[in-house]
Amino acid sequence: MDFALDDDQALIVQTVRRFVDKDLRAWAGDADRAAEAPGKLATVAGDLGFYLDAVPEAAGGLLDGAYAHVTRALRGLELGRGCSAMAALLECNVEPALAVARWGSDAAKAELFASLAAGGLATTGRDSRGALTLTADGDGVRVTGKIGPLPALGRASHVLLCATLDGAPVALLIATAGQRVAAQAPSAWRAAAWGTLTLEHALVPASHVVARGADPVALIGAWYRSSLAARAAGVAVAAMEHARHYASERVQFGQPIGRFESLIGLRDDALTAATAARLMALHAAWLCDRATDGASIAAAADAASRARVVAGDAVRQATVDAVQIYGGYGFVNDYPVEKLMRDARPYEQLFGDERFDRVLADPDRAGGI
Amino acid sequence: MDIFHDNAMLAGVRQMLGAFAKQYIRPVAMKHDREESMPWALMKQAQAFGMTQTAVVDGRKALTGKDDEEGANKPKSQSRLGVVGSEELAYGCAGVCLAIGGSGLAASPVARMGTEEQKQEFRRLLKGDDEHGHIKVAAMALSEPSTGSDISSLSTTARPDGDYFVINGHKQWITNGQSAAAYVVWAQTDPSAGRAGVRGFLVARGTPGLIPGRKEHKLGIRASETAQVHFEDCRVHKDMMLGIGASSEGLGDTKKMLDSTRPMVGAQAVGIARAAFDYLVERVQGGTIHGTALKQHQHVAFELAEMEMEIQAARALVHKSAWMADHGQDNVRMASIAKAYGAKVAQDVTARALTLLGEEALEPDHPVEKWYRDAKIYDIFEGTGQIQRRIIARSILGVNAT
Ligand SMILES: Cc1cc2nc3c(=O)[nH]c(=O)nc-3n(C[C@H](O)[C@H](O)[C@H](O)COP(=O)(O)OP(=O)(O)OC[C@H]3O[C@@H](n4cnc5c(N)ncnc54)[C@H](O)[C@@H]3O)c2cc1C
Repeated sequence: MDFALDDDQALIVQTVRRFVDKDLRAWAGDADRAAEAPGKLATVAGDLGFYLDAVPEAAGGLLDGAYAHVTRALRGLELGRGCSAMAALLECNVEPALAVARWGSDAAKAELFASLAAGGLATTGRDSRGALTLTADGDGVRVTGKIGPLPALGRASHVLLCATLDGAPVALLIATAGQRVAAQAPSAWRAAAWGTLTLEHALVPASHVVARGADPVALIGAWYRSSLAARAAGVAVAAMEHARHYASERVQFGQPIGRFESLIGLRDDALTAATAARLMALHAAWLCDRATDGASIAAAADAASRARVVAGDAVRQATVDAVQIYGGYGFVNDYPVEKLMRDARPYEQLFGDERFDRVLADPDRAGGI
Repeated sequence: MDIFHDNAMLAGVRQMLGAFAKQYIRPVAMKHDREESMPWALMKQAQAFGMTQTAVVDGRKALTGKDDEEGANKPKSQSRLGVVGSEELAYGCAGVCLAIGGSGLAASPVARMGTEEQKQEFRRLLKGDDEHGHIKVAAMALSEPSTGSDISSLSTTARPDGDYFVINGHKQWITNGQSAAAYVVWAQTDPSAGRAGVRGFLVARGTPGLIPGRKEHKLGIRASETAQVHFEDCRVHKDMMLGIGASSEGLGDTKKMLDSTRPMVGAQAVGIARAAFDYLVERVQGGTIHGTALKQHQHVAFELAEMEMEIQAARALVHKSAWMADHGQDNVRMASIAKAYGAKVAQDVTARALTLLGEEALEPDHPVEKWYRDAKIYDIFEGTGQIQRRIIARSILGVNAT
C-alpha cells in the first residue's frame, strides 16, 4: 500500500492547482452572478485536457489506454477548491464517454464522440426515486417523465441515464436534440448550465441502450459518486482555507477570532471530515480502477457510496461553518463563502440519497416493504 | 406558568398572522428573494392589518386593540405576543418578516429609554408614505465594519458641540439601512468614559451628514434590505439622545435592547423550521420511492419525528424566555438559549429536509432551499451562535472563556 503520488499524478495535481488558483477562483464570483461560465473556460480547460480526457484517442479524444479514476479524484479535489459549477462542467463528459466506450454500440460511440470532440457536453443522471416510466419497445426503450435538474443538461447533446426497466437496471444514452430541454439557474452551481429534459414516450433505440444489468449501472454510479465525493472534499477544504485566512485577520475582543477555541474547533472538525472524505474518495476511485467483475464492481460501488455520504456531510458542515466564521461578512456575496454554502448542496442531493439507497438495498431488508 | 398554551389573545394573533403568512406572504416570497427587493406593497398591507412600524413604541393597544391589563396581570413586556407573531410571519418568509418587523429593532430602545418627546418624534418620522408611496421604516445602527460581536469597541463617535452632537463613523449590515426614515445610531460620546460613554441617537433621514450606503447582496433573507450607513459630521440635537438623564447604562442599553429581541429572533427561526417541516410532511404524505409510499419508510418517517422533536423543543424555549420577560424575570440566559437553539434547529431542519427531498430540491426557486439559506442568518445576527454560548457559559461559570 502506498499513499504517495507518482510523478504523473503529482504533475497533474500541480497543473490543476495552478489553474484553480489562478483562473477558476478568479472567475468563480462573476460566473456565479452571471449564471454562466466564462467563454474562456472551454479554451483554457480544453488546453489542459479537460472535456476529452475520457474519450478514446481513436475517436478524437485524449484517452490512451485505461482511464485512471484515482487521477480524476486527485484532480477533483483541486477543482472543488476552485468552483463547483465550473468543476461540474469540466467533469460531466467522463461518465458518458467511459460508459459508451466500454459497453456502447458503434452507433452510440460514433454519435457521442463526434459531439464531444466538437466541443459538445454530455451529462449523467439517475432516476433515483423511480419516477420515470420506462417501457420496452422491441430492443429499444421508451421513456416518459422529467430528467433533472442536472448540471450541464441545459447545454448537453446527450444524457447518460441510469434507470430501471422491468425491475432491472439499464443505462441509456439519450440525445437531447429535438427534445424538450429547459435551461435553469438554481442557486447552487449557478454557472453549471443546469437543465431538465422532459420526455414523452421518447424512443431510445436499441443502439443507445448502452448497458443492461446491475454491474454496469453500479459501476457508472461508482465513477460518478467518487468524483462527486472528491470535489466535495475539495470544497470543504477551500471553505476552511478561506475561513482560516479570514480568522487570522479579523479581530474581535482584542484578538484575532481565529484564536477562539470554538472557532478552532469548527475548523478542526471540518478538516477531520474533509480528510476522511478525501481518503474515502481516493479509495473508491482506486477500486473503480480495479473494478472488472461483479465482486470488484460491488466493492467500488459500495466504497463510492460511503465516500459520498462522508463527503456530503463534510461539505455541508464545512461551508456552513465557514460562513459562521466570517460572521456578517459570510452572509454577503463580497466574500467567497456564501457561494460555497449554496454550492455544497448538490453534492448531497444529486444522484439520490445514499443512506436511503443503502437501507433499501440492504440484504437483511429483503422481504420488507 | 402558561407557556404551554396560547391564551385567547395569543391564539387570535397566531391565527391571524398565520393566515396572513399563507395568503399574502408565501405567494410573493420567492419573487422578492430572486429580485432581492423589499416587499413594499405587502408591508403596506401588513400595516393595514395592524402590524405598524411603531407598534413596539405604541404598546399592546396598537397591536391587539386592547389596553394592557392592569395591576398584577399587567405584563412587563410584549414578548409572548412578539414570539407568536414572529413565528407566524417567518413561517411565511423570514425575509418578509424582517421587512415588516425590522423597524422594531429601532423602536425597542426608543420605547424603553425614550422620552415622550422622542417617542413622538419617532412616530412623526414614520408617519405616512415616502416619495415612492412606500410606508416608512426605521433602522437600528449598531454594528460597524470592524465591530460586530465586540460592541464595546465602537468607533463611531458623537462629539458634543453646544446643543448638538456631531456624529462620525460607518455602520455595516444595517437592516433598512438604505430606506429608513428614522435611524437609531449608537456612538461613543466620551472615549475616556469607555462603555459608559456609548449612547443611542434618534436621527431623521435627510439630516445632513447621514448618508445611506451600498446595499448588500446576501445569501438569504433577501426581502430584507441590508446596507451600510455613513455618518459624516452629522449634527443631531442633544434632545434626540436616548436615555437622557440617569436612565442610560451606556453600552448596557444596547445589550438590553438585544436581550429583549432575542426571543423574537429565536421564534423566527422556529417559523422557518416549521415551514420546512410542513412542506416535507405534505411531500412525504403523497410521495413514493420505487413505487412504495415514502411515509412507510422509517428512514423518512423517523426523520420527520426527529425534526418535530427539535421544533417543539425550540418553541418551548422561545416561549419560556418570552414568558420570563413578560413576568419581569431576568431572562438573559434563557433568551440566549432560545435564540441559539432556534438557530440551530432552523439550520438543522432545513438541511435535513433538503437531503430528504434530494434532487427535486435542486429546482430553481425551491422553497426549502430558500429556507435553508434564510436560516443561516439566525446564527449570525443579533449575537452570533458563539456569542450566545459565551453569554450562557458566563452565566454558568462566571467568566468569559476564550
Ligand atoms: C443580514 C444582516 C442584518 C443585520 N442587521 C443589523 C442591524 O439592523 N443593525 C446592526 O447593528 N447590525 C446588524 N447586523 C450585524 C450583525 O449583528 C453582525 O454581523 C453580528 O453581530 C456579527 O458580527 P460580525 O459580523 O462583525 O462578526 P464577528 O464579530 O467578526 O465574528 C466573526 C466570527 O467570530 C466569532 N466570534 C467573535 N467573538 C467571539 C468570541 N468571543 N468567542 C468565540 N467566537 C467569537 C463569531 O461568532 C463569528 O463566528 C446584521 C447582519 C446581517 C448579516
